[in-house]
Amino acid sequence: MNNMALPPWATWVMLLGFLGFIGMIALSIRRNRGVKRSLFAFPYGLWIVLFTLIPLLLIAYYAFTNKAGGLTLDNFKTFWDSNYEMRKQMLDLGVNPADLGIARGNVNVDTLVYSLWMAFMCTVICLVMGYPAALFMADRSFKLGATLVILFIIPMWMNFLLRTIAWMSLLEDNGLINTLLAAMGLPKMRLMYNSQAVLLGMVYNYLPFMVFPIYNSLSKQDRRLSEAAMDLGANAALTFLRVTLPLSLPGVVSGITMVFMPSVTTFFIPRVLGGGNTEMFGDLIERTFLSADNWNVGSALSLIMMILILISLTLLRKADPEGEGSGTL
Amino acid sequence: MQERPRLINLENISKDYGGVTVLSDINLYIRKNEFVTLLGPSGCGKTTTLRIIGGFESPSSGRVMFDGEDITQLPPYKRKVNTVFQKYALFPHLNVAENIAFGLKVAKRPKEEIRAKVEKMLALVNLRGYEKRSVDSLSGGQQQRIAIARALVNEPEVLLLDEPLGALDLKLRQEMQLELKRMQQMLGITFIFVTHDQEEALTMSDIIVVMKDGFIQQIGTPKDVYDEPKSAFVANFIGQSNIIRGVMVHDELVHFCGADFPCVDKGFGSDAPVDVLIRPEDLLIVGENEGRLNGLVRSVLFKGVHYEMIIDAGEMRFKVHSTVMQPEGSIVGLDVIPFNIHIMNPMPPQEIESLEEEPA
Repeated sequence: MNNMALPPWATWVMLLGFLGFIGMIALSIRRNRGVKRSLFAFPYGLWIVLFTLIPLLLIAYYAFTNKAGGLTLDNFKTFWDSNYEMRKQMLDLGVNPADLGIARGNVNVDTLVYSLWMAFMCTVICLVMGYPAALFMADRSFKLGATLVILFIIPMWMNFLLRTIAWMSLLEDNGLINTLLAAMGLPKMRLMYNSQAVLLGMVYNYLPFMVFPIYNSLSKQDRRLSEAAMDLGANAALTFLRVTLPLSLPGVVSGITMVFMPSVTTFFIPRVLGGGNTEMFGDLIERTFLSADNWNVGSALSLIMMILILISLTLLRKADPEGEGSGTL
Repeated sequence: MQERPRLINLENISKDYGGVTVLSDINLYIRKNEFVTLLGPSGCGKTTTLRIIGGFESPSSGRVMFDGEDITQLPPYKRKVNTVFQKYALFPHLNVAENIAFGLKVAKRPKEEIRAKVEKMLALVNLRGYEKRSVDSLSGGQQQRIAIARALVNEPEVLLLDEPLGALDLKLRQEMQLELKRMQQMLGITFIFVTHDQEEALTMSDIIVVMKDGFIQQIGTPKDVYDEPKSAFVANFIGQSNIIRGVMVHDELVHFCGADFPCVDKGFGSDAPVDVLIRPEDLLIVGENEGRLNGLVRSVLFKGVHYEMIIDAGEMRFKVHSTVMQPEGSIVGLDVIPFNIHIMNPMPPQEIESLEEEPA
């Protein structure tokens, strides 16, 4: 506990920091007379360089070098064949790995495919659940719409780890659901430590990222457009299909990207709710870095992940060039 | 004008939004092939009336009859009316041809027929060859025409137009006024037009419905409404006017500004307070002491066709239009012929004051 006791001057430092913040606001309101506006960007620029640009370069450096620092593509080969290092060493020793029954290790590729599949499923479920919710919330004749929006936002104020762990206490063998089942005389069910539980956790965490972009594009839609469709003879279903839905597609594309990207890189959720039985790519990267202590392969895996995300971002830009559907939270 | 059959009948329509009354007991019939304009300042309920006819709002009470049928509860897509919306409401994800074809596609018309009709409509609105253009690439006037074509292609019995010319500049607006009138006469369908622009209403309409604060003030032909306004509000809203408090001495004689004026109005009783309306162009400027009133010319503005002079006479300030200019500060005589004096029932004093403050 002693570690947490603050030094006596801490309060003053915090107060000083707060006053500095207020001062900055005041200065920027005064249109920075005498102070160059770009000066304010300096801390941010420094932050970007120190904690984004340099790490990115380091990742690239590690991905293309081996432990000795020599330039190599071995790390990417390891992605394709997780036994690559071992087989290479065996070949160096003059042993044919095939003789010992050591073939290509497909763990890494399989994990990526599995992650993509899980992310795909998560995105589909979020879309199927999120679109109607957004439609409901954006309906002007439905007075509770604004309240629903708040209800969607509030859980997001809670820490993501906490939210996931909360699911544990529901799904555990002796968790809330099983206790209820037992109380009703029903057999207990194995709810955790499988892909379905992981998927549940992912959908729970990422659903708002689907709902809000769609909600945004729907609520921005000119009400007169659907009135015009009705005026021209389209009933409610046709109006939705021919006008509301096509016009909300930028929001849908945005939502899909915002769910799919974090889904592919999901970690922690599989470990907590999947119990390590269902490793996803994010966990693999983490394990490679920390447990296996192999920064080079870990960097290569990260780089592959980043390229995947870059591709989907580029696709998003194509579909929604003005960022119309982007969620604002 | 021959008597045409009634097509739309609004019976005792009222509408309130959460306790605020927008329409009070509107009774209005609209005949076939008529060009009817709902005219009034913003917030008078004209757009709400239109939306009730279109089916986008349902009245709090009352009935909407269409060709003898009660359509009060009928959704918009089942009504034989089409609307041209205020800001056109063209579908941004469809091109020009697809926009116009929307109604026909929904009605599942054969492709050949759709293509032929779209082409015909584009010809009607003078936009041949624009089929593949995106609606965003069109000017306001062109978007306007597409919106009209999109509504007319469905061959509605009634076309509703919600301030369709509001966003256009003056010259384009005047062009479109004539064009709309031409279309209406050519197609022989009923137009219900909403506007706050009195000039527009006078130019285009067969019938003008003047509205204020959810009430109908007057229904009549443009000439009726201009020449025989029923209240100072109508008089002031349509055209410019001098409204003077006066006393009806007896039939065909009215007293105001310290002088007696013969007029043609009857039936207001004897020694009854009335409002007297004289249009600025109806005041005659004559030599000093030659008219019933003498006045001092306060200011002169050149307005193109005529001069607008402000003349103080008999404790009143008159607006006078004349093609002959009188110098500022000169004393002139004022007179008016009996036919051009119009007597109305008096308005509460606070309303007359608020009218005077409004810019003409």
